[in-house]
Amino acid sequence: MSRDQMRELQSEKLRKIVAHAYNNSPFYKKRFDEHGVHPDDIKSIDDIVKLPFTVKQDLRDNYPFGMMCVPMTDILRLHASSGTTGKPIVVGYTAKDLDNWADAVARCLSAYGLGSNDMVQIAYGYGLFTGGLGAHDGVTKIGGTVIPTSSGNTQKQLQLMQDFGATAVACTPSYALYMAEEIRKQGLDIKNFKLKVGIFGAEPWTEAMRKELEDKLQIRAFDIYGLTEISGPGVGGECECQNGTHLWEDLYYPEIIDPVTLQPVEPGQKGELVFTTLDKWGMPMIRYRTRDLTYLNYDKCECGRTAVRMGKILGRSDDMMIIRGVNVFPSQVESILLEFPEYEPYFLIEVDRVNNTDTFDIQVEVKPEFYTDRINELVRLRQRLTARIQSVIGIQPNIKIVQPGTIERSTGKAKRAIDHRKFE
Amino acid sequence: MLIRQISVFLENEKGKFAEIARLLGNNGINMKAFTVSETQDFGIARIIVERDQIERAFNLIKANSYAVTMTHVVYLECAHKPGAMAEAMEKLSAAGISVEYMYAFADSSSEFSRVIIRPDNTELANQIIAEL
Repeated sequence: MSRDQMRELQSEKLRKIVAHAYNNSPFYKKRFDEHGVHPDDIKSIDDIVKLPFTVKQDLRDNYPFGMMCVPMTDILRLHASSGTTGKPIVVGYTAKDLDNWADAVARCLSAYGLGSNDMVQIAYGYGLFTGGLGAHDGVTKIGGTVIPTSSGNTQKQLQLMQDFGATAVACTPSYALYMAEEIRKQGLDIKNFKLKVGIFGAEPWTEAMRKELEDKLQIRAFDIYGLTEISGPGVGGECECQNGTHLWEDLYYPEIIDPVTLQPVEPGQKGELVFTTLDKWGMPMIRYRTRDLTYLNYDKCECGRTAVRMGKILGRSDDMMIIRGVNVFPSQVESILLEFPEYEPYFLIEVDRVNNTDTFDIQVEVKPEFYTDRINELVRLRQRLTARIQSVIGIQPNIKIVQPGTIERSTGKAKRAIDHRKFE
Repeated sequence: MLIRQISVFLENEKGKFAEIARLLGNNGINMKAFTVSETQDFGIARIIVERDQIERAFNLIKANSYAVTMTHVVYLECAHKPGAMAEAMEKLSAAGISVEYMYAFADSSSEFSRVIIRPDNTELANQIIAEL
């Protein structure tokens, strides 16, 4: 499809989805009215800049179903991602939305060279997380065979992968490296596996990791990009050229803005990625700010695809980190600490990657009056905080109680998180 | 007898106990007894010093940004003979007292071993020990 044809298609879809959002969502109606824009003002895709942005906080404020634009009876599936103080972000899909999402994942799989003869082991978590079921529906769409192992239980993963002859595996790149290491440790021979493709996403990874994965697993390793708010995995994927992530822009229209001025940047310039879902009816996202920093390349790809390519994610315009595939905000840790009278509200998160697994250390201080000569009380206090953070954020932290005054106090610009992982 | 004990929270890092010992040493405070319990990430040092130095020791440690607490513990002089300790512990146990932790230091020049006991019920434990 030529760029002009694409723009025409995008314009038509934008007009429809904007009208749908305005007419069916009190949230969008109010937001558009306040912004002084009406669906009639949207004639072409270029008019998208007239529309107001949507941010993650909007989803929290409208928990659970305030952002839905169809009656709940038309919602066939709900997914959610972790949020602050136990309130997750909820997304709902109509039948058409699920079909479009599966289609987007299917396009990624085709770009990786997979088809109906392939057997894909899905080691992304099944459940509220979009990874497992999203990949599942995509494989079904291309007529491939799904091995729905979900995440964890590495021993069994490897046994089935070998015995069934899986030709592709979908998981986080760090888990794939862990599996590669287990294969070596258990003395298995990679030649007895039939793997040829790795479908890796849900966390940032590097070219060095790609090379290591390709060498150790004897595969080609491809990126799959996505986020729950926009659909889930499959918003974009790499092609055989492995030179940028193609975004399926007839479904998810990307823009790059300056995160400070909120104005669009020149094509090719770095900035914050913003998506508008052009064909998602249950819960359309209009100019949703992803906070991911990257750039777009509109040149035709060597593979022949004209779909715009996204560069590597260069960072975040907020302080979110992805740890073991889970989105973590330092503010989540802060609000949990405030629930405990025993702890000071100060903390320092340190993230690193050891043996291909992300570490998640949190330094905290106990208030002076809660120190005790009884070690068991401190151990229990530490255990309670660990359990609470695990239940809210979804991953287990290593809580380190430090001496009073260790953690930097200055409020304004205090460094609350240090990421030691190397992504470039 | 009830005596006061200082407890100091220590991160599990090299040289942490040395810092406390040096701090007390440089200020002329002698540790008469101590014990350190540890977990993987942190430990707690419990220290006994001369009665007339305990306030100073406490304030010194606190002023150097350590988490420090002062608690009463039971001091027992236990005869140097087989079964003496068993008798004391049986009495505490019979009174329903649990011991959180304890530590002892023997002195061969004395006819007693000195035992520090941290019971869940300090007052009651002290009465029982006094009646031994």
